[in-house]
Amino acid sequence: MASVSRWRAVTPAGRALRLGTAFWLSVAWIALLVFLGVFEDVLPIRDADARGIRTGEVERFEGPGWNAWFGGGPQGEDQLARVVAGIRPALTLGLVVTALAALVGGALGVTAGYARGRIDAVTTAAIDIALAFPALVLLIAVRSTFGNSLLVFIAIFTITSIPPYARIVRGATLALAEREFVDAARSMGASTRRILLKELAPNLVLPVLSFAAIGFAVVILTEGALAFLGLSIDQVTWGALIAEGTGEIRNHPHVALVPATVMFMTILAFNLVGDGLRELTAPRTVATVRRLEVEGDRVAPVGEPVLHVHDLRTTLHTPAGPVHAVDGVGFDLSAGEALGIVGESGSGKTMVLRSIVGAFPLAGVTRAGTVDVCGVDMLRAPRAVVQHTLGTCVGMVSQNPLTALNPTRRIEAQIVEPMVVHGGLDRKAARSRALELMQHVGIPAPERRLREYPHQLSGGMRQRVTIAIALANRPQVLLADEPTTALDVTVQNQILELLGRLRREERMAMVLVTHDLAVVHGFTDRVAIMYAGQIVEQGPTEEIFSNPRHQYTIALMGSIPDLDLPSHSRLKTIVGSPPSLTDLPPGCRFAERCRFADERCRAEAPPATGPARHGYRCWHPGVEPPVEVGRGR
Amino acid sequence: MTAAIVRRLLRLAVIVLIVTFTTFLLLDATPGDPAVWKLGINADPELLAQTRAELGLDRPLLVRYLDWLGDAARLDFGESFFTEVSSWTLIRRALPKTIELMVLAEIMALAISVPLAIAAARRPGSWIDRWSSGSAFALLALPAFILALYLSYVFAVRLGWFPTIVTDLPGLNEDPLENLRQMFLPALTLALNLVAVYLRLLRSDLIDTLQEDYVMLAQARGLGDRRIMWRHVLRPSSLNLTTAIGLNVAGLIGGALIVERFFAINGIGQLLIVSIVGKEFFVASAIVLLLTVAYVVVNFCVDLLYSVLDPRIRSGIR
Repeated sequence: MASVSRWRAVTPAGRALRLGTAFWLSVAWIALLVFLGVFEDVLPIRDADARGIRTGEVERFEGPGWNAWFGGGPQGEDQLARVVAGIRPALTLGLVVTALAALVGGALGVTAGYARGRIDAVTTAAIDIALAFPALVLLIAVRSTFGNSLLVFIAIFTITSIPPYARIVRGATLALAEREFVDAARSMGASTRRILLKELAPNLVLPVLSFAAIGFAVVILTEGALAFLGLSIDQVTWGALIAEGTGEIRNHPHVALVPATVMFMTILAFNLVGDGLRELTAPRTVATVRRLEVEGDRVAPVGEPVLHVHDLRTTLHTPAGPVHAVDGVGFDLSAGEALGIVGESGSGKTMVLRSIVGAFPLAGVTRAGTVDVCGVDMLRAPRAVVQHTLGTCVGMVSQNPLTALNPTRRIEAQIVEPMVVHGGLDRKAARSRALELMQHVGIPAPERRLREYPHQLSGGMRQRVTIAIALANRPQVLLADEPTTALDVTVQNQILELLGRLRREERMAMVLVTHDLAVVHGFTDRVAIMYAGQIVEQGPTEEIFSNPRHQYTIALMGSIPDLDLPSHSRLKTIVGSPPSLTDLPPGCRFAERCRFADERCRAEAPPATGPARHGYRCWHPGVEPPVEVGRGR
Repeated sequence: MTAAIVRRLLRLAVIVLIVTFTTFLLLDATPGDPAVWKLGINADPELLAQTRAELGLDRPLLVRYLDWLGDAARLDFGESFFTEVSSWTLIRRALPKTIELMVLAEIMALAISVPLAIAAARRPGSWIDRWSSGSAFALLALPAFILALYLSYVFAVRLGWFPTIVTDLPGLNEDPLENLRQMFLPALTLALNLVAVYLRLLRSDLIDTLQEDYVMLAQARGLGDRRIMWRHVLRPSSLNLTTAIGLNVAGLIGGALIVERFFAINGIGQLLIVSIVGKEFFVASAIVLLLTVAYVVVNFCVDLLYSVLDPRIRSGIR
């Protein structure tokens, strides 16, 4: 049964242990309250109504001590006895109201969420009106009309609590009804009632329970507030005790503080239980800690490359374990040189760029190895130096132009900012350069465009703006992360041509990250093929295309659609998927999907081999070139 | 735009009719007779009947309601049966205190929660994040009357910095220091309850925005963390916060009730309670009308603010 297996998946036995100390302390506190409430009559506690001024056991406003743990009340009542006496009305009210409201509200919500259409519309409208109504006016009016017995309070609270339950259950049902197991049951001919009871109800129990725990707290709180306004039940309640003691806060603070603290702890306990239960239904899977660390030592480059990456290792620490996103990547780029980094999604190619600039998603990140930009050690130099280098020496273009610009800021503010912050220009000079840049990247009517917001521009125009921003401070290195993937085919070519032109004109070094080998061909000087966090092959572009050595590169080449073949011939794809970066195999990372893989491939990681200008990591490289010297560019 | 405003005004009118009439209905159902309260239990029955007629209490509910509504349309909201002071005067006396309380509370709440949320979002999981989230959670479990009790015990009774109740409140323009000294604890009580809500909301929205592409690119451009946070991240993250502020500004006028009672401030909340308990049809309805209008107007302003905050809303894309 689909629903049963899902229910188990949500609450595996081990999960309960991970609820934390606070949760179990709260449960213990609630259990203590229940115990005291149930056995109130048989426990050795004084009578809550007994007045010390008559019995002489407790003095008026006696301080807390051995005689009366919680001190004495205005008439010499034992405050401990009164606080314990307040447990029953609090728990009864909370339990009955919560149960009734959850049942009625839940039934309404499930029906509305499942039936949709007119039933849903009517119910939702009713819920909205009910939620908007001034509850306090209703509470006061009803209470002064029907008296102050516990029953009246239960009725009022239940009626006012139903709408929130109905709303939350309706939302959960809407979400669940979309799920496949409900569809499956429906298509197998299960009746509506059966689906509601057997499939939906079990999955709604935990969210409702969690909401109910918090609702319980709200009931206790509301009773307290009403009691404070002098509108309580005709019994001893915590709210009444607090209200009574408030006037004595100056002279006898314990009278109000003790019941107030008991009530606070109870509300907190129910909130914590509700929070813990919610965490069970939707456990946090995203990392919550952001920390940037650097390990290892810098290795100086040979010569004077503008970009020098050596043995770069980037590890993201996620709740699922460490992710080795970049694992020993290295390359050098001189001025005017272009490198293409090619790999499937998840190969770590974007993470290489992010490791260079030091901008990561929310996670703890450790970087090791060397990244030099314009001679600055980007991993170990002081923060201000790194930021200045990023601002003046590096330009970056990202994949999706729709998300690359801040939707709430004008184009002008975004393009002028790096020039003012790092370029040393004043606002006026920056603005005229911005106009120049906009023309340079081919944006018509730049004056008008500067005043507009990103959403007023097309995707291609936005990508041009991103490129203009990247060029603002005449960078020596341009990092482009799939700059054309999200664009139309015609716009793709325009953007590529623009990037090529800019590279030639400004003599920039460029790293072009892409999943598409065809983009790289004829565009970059060299190509690095990435797989599972490693560069598995790197060499001059011509050579990689004419003489690929790594079996993965060869497979990639085979998957480029060949325009010379008849249009209906089958596209070759690489079967399988890359290994998980949290759990890498000991041997060659491509072994699982490689048709030449043998025992050694699976056991032993292939070292980097081949000549310096064209290296690869493969135990079974493709055919050797006939003559090694004299090829290439 | 004009069509939208007209639609809103129509909706407002309908809501006002429903809530004011319901108030009449509910008050009519409550026990008690204003004429008796006015003249005393042993009053002459003939005099009682005469007073009832004077007050209009002998006529059917619907007629009384329509009468009041007609007067209200001419901005005459009737007067209190008991004190014979006009509703408008009563409201005008009470409203400034409630509004001051509300504005102070909102300022305090934002002054505390915005920097804390930013600090927490910059380093999720750090001590400041864990500490502030924990405090916010505890504050959520502290109803106003308990929080007021704690604050008043520590700062008024123990330390003696502030008075326990507000007495002879001088105007903000006469003696601003004394005024603020008296209003500090009541405003702080309201503010701390708001902090719990604002902090959680803004923190999670900031963390979401920090994951956006454009923030990553801003970091890649070498811009400082502080600049990114205040200029790039805060504004797109503040839509939900704005909604919450709008709801709370409206809610606080009625919600300040407990705090007004605790610190003995004669604000709108107190006036509302007194009017309901005293069967003051006209005064209570006038207050309910005021609260409803305030609620709708504030939320209309919030909608306007949305389009200032997010230009996409201006052109109807979102």
